[in-house]
Amino acid sequence: MRFDLLSRLRSRGTALLAATLAGLAMTGGALADTYEVKLPPELSSSPKMCDYAPCKDVMPGATSFSERKGQPPFVEAYKDEAGQKKLLGYVMLSTDITDTPAYSGKPVVTLIGMDTTGRFTGVKILKHSEPILLLGIPESALIKFNNQYLGQFVGDNIEIGKSRSEENLIGLDAITGATVTVIAQNQVMMTSGSAVAKQVGILKPVIRPQAKFTATTAAPSWAQLVEDGSVQRLVVKAEEVGLKSDGRPYMDLWFGYLNQPTIGQAILGKDGYAGLMARLKEGEHAIFIIKTAGMDSFKGSGFVRGGIYDRVQVRQDSDSFTFRDLDYVNLWGVSAAGSPAFDESAIFIIRGKSFSGAYPWKLVFLGNKIDKETSTKTFANFDKEYWLDARYLEGGRPVVIKPDPTWLKVWKERAFEIGGFVVFLLVIAAAYASRDTLVRRSSRHNKWPVNVFKYTGWVVSIGFVGFYAMAQPSITQILTWFHSLLFQWKWELFLSDPLIFVFWIFIIVSTFLWGRGLFCGWLCPFGSLSELLYKIGGAIGLKRFQFNLPQALHDKLKWVKYAVFFGLLAVSFFSMGLAEKLAEVEPFKTTFLVGITNRSWPYSLFAAGLLGLAIFTERPFCKYLCPLGAALAMPTTFRWFGLRRKDECTSCKACAKGCGSLAIDTKGNIDQRECMLCLDCMVFYYDDHACPPLAHERKRRDKAGQPLTPINGKGYFIPIHPVPADTKKGAAA
Amino acid sequence: MTIADRNELRQPAYGNARGLSWLIAELRDHLWPWAGKGQPARKSIQLAGFALAIAATIAWVLAALGRLEAGAIIGWWFGWSVFEIFVRLDAKPYVKEGPWWGHLYRRATVMDMICYVSFKNLLIGAVLFIGLRTLGIVQV
Repeated sequence: MRFDLLSRLRSRGTALLAATLAGLAMTGGALADTYEVKLPPELSSSPKMCDYAPCKDVMPGATSFSERKGQPPFVEAYKDEAGQKKLLGYVMLSTDITDTPAYSGKPVVTLIGMDTTGRFTGVKILKHSEPILLLGIPESALIKFNNQYLGQFVGDNIEIGKSRSEENLIGLDAITGATVTVIAQNQVMMTSGSAVAKQVGILKPVIRPQAKFTATTAAPSWAQLVEDGSVQRLVVKAEEVGLKSDGRPYMDLWFGYLNQPTIGQAILGKDGYAGLMARLKEGEHAIFIIKTAGMDSFKGSGFVRGGIYDRVQVRQDSDSFTFRDLDYVNLWGVSAAGSPAFDESAIFIIRGKSFSGAYPWKLVFLGNKIDKETSTKTFANFDKEYWLDARYLEGGRPVVIKPDPTWLKVWKERAFEIGGFVVFLLVIAAAYASRDTLVRRSSRHNKWPVNVFKYTGWVVSIGFVGFYAMAQPSITQILTWFHSLLFQWKWELFLSDPLIFVFWIFIIVSTFLWGRGLFCGWLCPFGSLSELLYKIGGAIGLKRFQFNLPQALHDKLKWVKYAVFFGLLAVSFFSMGLAEKLAEVEPFKTTFLVGITNRSWPYSLFAAGLLGLAIFTERPFCKYLCPLGAALAMPTTFRWFGLRRKDECTSCKACAKGCGSLAIDTKGNIDQRECMLCLDCMVFYYDDHACPPLAHERKRRDKAGQPLTPINGKGYFIPIHPVPADTKKGAAA
Repeated sequence: MTIADRNELRQPAYGNARGLSWLIAELRDHLWPWAGKGQPARKSIQLAGFALAIAATIAWVLAALGRLEAGAIIGWWFGWSVFEIFVRLDAKPYVKEGPWWGHLYRRATVMDMICYVSFKNLLIGAVLFIGLRTLGIVQV
C-alpha cells in the first residue's frame, strides 16, 4: 500500500515538474517588454531625438519638440496655442546626461519629462537590463515607482525611504527586492532633472565663496606641480571606450587651474599669466589642458565655430560648466621646467559665477563607449578631481563635507539590521564550532542541544533573512561574481546590498572551514523552509508517507544539480540575460521576493510543488536541483574540518540509515558535498546507546564490571590499562 | 576525518617531505599535473597532455601579445582544464583531505578531480586574465 502511494507520488511529482517547467518556458518573456530591447542608434545621436522616442508620453499635451540642444542635451516641448508655439517643458534622455549603472551594471535608459516650473511630468523606461525585473518583479513595479516622481519638484531633496519633514526630505517607496535598481533610478532622475533645470534657469546656481590666493615668489617645476596636485592627469584607456588597444591611451590629458598666481605663472610665464588675467573679468576662471598622448582630439574633430566643445567640461558638485568657442584661448607652450611634449592644448575660461577655485572640481571627459556586440555608442564619462593645495589658498582649504556614496548610505540606514544579522551568523558559527560539546550533550532520543541552534537558524533565516530582508543568496550572484571577476569588478555593486554582502562573506568563509552544509543545512532560507516543512509533516502524522529515494537513484540524481550549475555558467557566457531567466530553476524569487501568490501560475506552481514535495521527502530541491548548492559543493571538496568517522563505520550502517541527506556511502565515508551537517551522525558517534561499537563496548564493560571511562575524541571509551602488579606494590610501600 | 575507509587514503611521492621542501613540492604538484618520479602514468595521456598544455600556453602567450580575444583565451583555458582532469586522474589521482596545511590526501574520485582542477584553474586563470586586462593587453 505504502509503496503504491510512494510510486504514485513520485510519478505525479515528475509530471508536475515537467508541466511546470514547460509552463515556465512558455511564459519566460511575458514581462520583458523593455528588457534588453534594441533601441534605434539614432535615439542617442540624432538631433531629432523625439523622432525615435515617445516624447509625448512623458510630456502630455505637447504637439512638437525641438532638436537636441544644450550640454548635456535636452529637447524643448511645445504646445500649439492659437498658432503660436508655447513652451510646455523639457524632455531628456537619461543616458545623454548620466551613465549611472543599475544592478546589472548597465544604465536604465529613461525618458524624462519636466515642465517649465521644474516638476516632473512623465517618466518612461525605454530599456533596462535588470534581471530582477525580467522575471522576479513585474515591470509594472518600476513604472509604479517612477510615477512617484510625477508632480515632484526637481530641486527637492528626494530619496528612497521614509519622508523626513524635519530635514525637508521627500521619501519614495522602494521596490522590495530591487533596492539597488531604484537607488540608481533615483540618482538618474535627480541628476538628469537637475542638469537640465540648471541649464534653463529653473534651478539657481550655488554661489560659492571665491578663493583668496597666497602669493609666493617660487617658480615650481612641472614635477613639483604634479607632486602637489596643481597639475592633474586624466587618462582614458582605449578599452574603456570599447576600442582595441594599440599601446596608446585613448586620451592622456594634463590639466590645472591658472588663476592661482604661482601655478599660473609657472605654466604660462609671468607675461603670459598677466596677459590672461587681464582678459578675465571678475568671477571668471581659467584652466589649461594639454594632451600628451592619445588617439583622438579632446576638442572634438567635429567642432564648429559658435558651437560647444562637447568632449570636456568642468563640474563642481552638481554644477556643470561647458565651453564655447569664445571661452577658448590658445596655449602655445608650457613654461614650467620639465613639462612634457604635447600635441594638443587649450586654455578654457569658466564663466559660471558659481565656480570657485577654493573648492574641489572635476575635469570631465565626455566619451562614447562602443558596444562590441551591437556597435551602438553609449554615453560614458571619465573624470579626475582637482583641488588646490592648501599652501596656495589663504587660510588653507575650506571645509568640504562630501556626501556619502550610495552604498554607504544604505549601510548606515540599515546598520541595526546588519549588526543583528552579523551577531546571528556569529552565534550560529560559534554553535557549530562547538559541535563536539553539543553532540556529546545530545543523544539519539534528545538532540535538542544541537537542534535549538539549528532550528533557531531555520526560523530566523526563513522569517528575517528570507521574507523580511529578502537576502536569500542565489546562483545569479555567483554568475555575476564570476563575470565581474573576469571582466569588471565593482565593489559598489556588491556593497549596495549589505545583508547579501555579509551573508556571502560568511558563506565563503564557512564553506572553506566546514563545507557548504552550515549554509545549506542551517541558514539557507529556502532550504530551511523545505526541511522545516518536512519536520512539521512528520510531526503532524505524515511520517508514514515520508520517504527517501533509494540510494542508487539518489546517487544518480544528485548530479543533476551540477549539470544545472554548469549549464547556467555556460549560458551566462553567451547571454547573461538568458542565464538569469534560466536561473528561475531556483524558486527563491517566487517564494521570498515576490510571493507565491503574486506571480504567474507556472512559477507559483513550481515553487509550491517543490515545497509540497518537501513535506514528503527531505529537501528534494537542495539534493537534486539547486545550482547554488552545486556551486558551493565544489569548494566543499576542500573544506578544512570535516566530521569524524571510526574504522567500524566501514561495516556498520547505523548512522548511514538515519542520514537524511543520503550523504554516507557504502564504505562509511561521508560525501561532504552532499552533507548538510545536521550532526545526527555525530550524535550517534558519541552515544554509547546508539553507536554499535560503543554500545558493544559498554555492554562488555558492564558485564566485566569495568568502569565506563569518558569517550575520547576518536569516539571510543578511554581504554583501561591495568597497572602492573610490581608498580602497585611499590606504590603501596 | 570524514573518511572511514582508510584504503581511501593516499600518499603522494613527496608525502614525507617537510617544511619548505614540502611547500615547493605542493606548489609543483598544483602546477605540474603529470606524473613525477616513481608515479605510474599512461604515456598516451601524458603525451596528449603535453601537446595540449603547449597549445594552451601558446594561447596565453598570444593573449599576452594582444593577438587573442578574451573569449578565445577563456575557451582555451576551459579546454585545457577538462583535459587536465584526465591527466591528473591518470597520473596524480589524489586530493587533499582536511586542512590545506595538513599532509593527508585521499583517493580522488572523478568529481573530486573536477572540483579540484576547476577551482585551481579558476584561480590561476583569473590571476593571468586580470593581469593581462590590467596591462591593457586583453580587452573585454
